[in-house]
Amino acid sequence: MFQLFRTLVLLVLLLPIGVAEAGELLVIANPSVDTDLLTAKQIAAIYLLRVTLWADGTQIIPVNREAASDLRAQFTTALLDHDNAGLAAYWNEMHFQGKLPPLVQESEAAMLAFVQKVPGAIGYISAATPAVDVKVLAHVP
Amino acid sequence: MKLKSTPSDKSLIRAKSNETALSILLSFIIVLAITILSGPFAFADDSYQLGHGYNIGPFNFAGYSDIVVNIPDEGHKTVGFGDLSLFVTGHVTPIFNPFIEAELTHFDFISSERSGPDRGNGSFILERLYDDVTLTDAVTFRFGKMLAPVGEWNQIHAAPLVLAAVRPAVTDQNFSEFLTGASLLYGDPDGETPGLQLYWQPAGELFEQPSGITPDQYQQVEGLHITYPLSLRDQIGFSFQRARDIHGIDQSLFGLDFQYRVQKLTLQGEGTYADLSGHTAGLVRRTELGGYLGASYAFAEDWSVYGWHEEFAGRQIRATSRDILGGVAYRPDPAMVLKFEYLENIGGTPVNPTGLFMSWSILF
Repeated sequence: MFQLFRTLVLLVLLLPIGVAEAGELLVIANPSVDTDLLTAKQIAAIYLLRVTLWADGTQIIPVNREAASDLRAQFTTALLDHDNAGLAAYWNEMHFQGKLPPLVQESEAAMLAFVQKVPGAIGYISAATPAVDVKVLAHVP
Repeated sequence: MKLKSTPSDKSLIRAKSNETALSILLSFIIVLAITILSGPFAFADDSYQLGHGYNIGPFNFAGYSDIVVNIPDEGHKTVGFGDLSLFVTGHVTPIFNPFIEAELTHFDFISSERSGPDRGNGSFILERLYDDVTLTDAVTFRFGKMLAPVGEWNQIHAAPLVLAAVRPAVTDQNFSEFLTGASLLYGDPDGETPGLQLYWQPAGELFEQPSGITPDQYQQVEGLHITYPLSLRDQIGFSFQRARDIHGIDQSLFGLDFQYRVQKLTLQGEGTYADLSGHTAGLVRRTELGGYLGASYAFAEDWSVYGWHEEFAGRQIRATSRDILGGVAYRPDPAMVLKFEYLENIGGTPVNPTGLFMSWSILF
């Protein structure tokens, strides 16, 4: 009985490490990306086009969901700290100055497929979706 | 929109070069269309977003159009392209990130002047042609023809991105808007510390702008721009530019610009002071001074009212020009805007004419 209790306690303690929780987002990247972990600040720098290359010099290709997506709203609120309209205007200005706005994929499946396929791509999916053939670089509560 | 300041006296030569230029632009559009239609070459299956251009491999093809209606109280009334711009951005390797922007400007569909030098036959302009070499996350080396970082308006001057259809004189008339040479850019990846750009143009401008579009042309330009970020799109900028124009006039210009948002209200402005020396005998003034203050207020989701007030004492202006502009904008999409505005010269020598102006501009 004590052994069973101890096992349960250990399981509960281990849950936050590497296990996705309901409602979480996973920040994912193409398996070729030479990075294993990103901080919230680093992810923001990528989506705000302030950092454009991975450590090995490969171009970073950030991918967003469509403007009406709940996942995008969650990602934007958690990491980019600005509303959609402000970000859209910012990306348009950056585009005119030679920096490419994040690409858009309009479904979870399309996002996953794109990130799986395109070297340097980074995106996000719901933790409920299995992150197959991609690297998980961060969990966003 | 930059209003034409002087009629060209080389209309025959320009007409010929414009023919060639239009052919080049047409060819560019055809190649672009064919490439876009050839789906298999597209960069994966990303969805097209208005304002974001179209991706083909490591290249992005984009542009903007600006259809303008100019109804000044005096002078010619016109309807036409203020600008039809195409730009290509490439991110190939850390040392090869080319950017090219070409545009057709001042092309009138309808004009109250049937012919003559004031008729807008269109000019083809190569605005930018440069390569960026990424040295680190924070430092980029740029060489080629680029926009001079004097004030925010000059750097994001595309019609869909700026406050008003008519540009305050201080944002383009007393400095070199372009430079051909080298530049070093520093930008904090966290966006917290000031950004810096240093630049140097050793000789003349590559693909010089026609004198009818840009009356002051420069041979040597150097300067710096510092940006203090206040938030994502708000900042205070400081500019310094030293330049020699083709008439041998040396100028040292100091500029300050800002943009600040409080909920639905956006405030912006720019002021410059320039000291002129060298061959200044024919000038009315040895110093130039000007500034504008602008504001816009979003009173509904897609609608805003805006305005600016400017005072400008240019080198050839005897009495300081004072303009006031008010307008309403409809923006159904962040990349698309319809502007309807009225400008009144309320004193001094007019730089921008009094009248009614409209523009329909789309970033695509």
